Amino acid sequence: MARILIPTPLRQFAEKNDNVELPGATVGEVLGALTTRFPDLKKNLYNEEGKLRSFVNVYLNDEDIRYISKEATPVAEGDTLSIVPSIAGGAYVG
Amino acid sequence: MVNHAQASYPNECCGAMIGSIDGDQKTVMFALALDNVSQGSQRARYELRPEDLLRADREARERKLDLIGIYHSHPDCAAYFSETDLKNSCPWYSFVVLSIQEGKFDHANSWLPNAEQTHAEKEELLWPES
Repeated sequence: MARILIPTPLRQFAEKNDNVELPGATVGEVLGALTTRFPDLKKNLYNEEGKLRSFVNVYLNDEDIRYISKEATPVAEGDTLSIVPSIAGGAYVG
Repeated sequence: MVNHAQASYPNECCGAMIGSIDGDQKTVMFALALDNVSQGSQRARYELRPEDLLRADREARERKLDLIGIYHSHPDCAAYFSETDLKNSCPWYSFVVLSIQEGKFDHANSWLPNAEQTHAEKEELLWPES
């Protein structure tokens, strides 16, 4: 089982849980278990093509999964997954 | 947040807002100044490191509080939610924009973007007078 930390604004779609323990051998499987248990989370995390939204980063413990094996990254018992958005911006248009 | 924005002038600053949520009301209890890691000129651009947001979220959890939003400044520019802000936002958090005019705080607005990054709703923003 891995623990997923739910960001505050998404807890309303996860029965107010701030974290949940879910099974899965890879990050993709654990995220799949998450959206199966809380279907309303799916549209917040995935786009219509079923890919993680561009601003969604997933960290396995302290590592960004993009630099490991993305959603195929293996998950071990006791690992923690965090969902962290990419955020940027600024007054400049262009 | 105002001090950070004024000290960063003429560059943009950014940071995390930590506090609590009660229904539709969000209360900021403290702000964490974070690095603006935007490459090139930061006079009209900001970018947060996701690792810093992860750290901010952990700090909030340790204090039994919530990461509720992100703030950044617009130097010599109004506190609108720009196209750049919208396209690089995420719908989960409130985004407070502080307008800094010639180095001094002028006004602020709070925005809530949608999931498609096509629109941001203006939120009512209240703060103590003192």
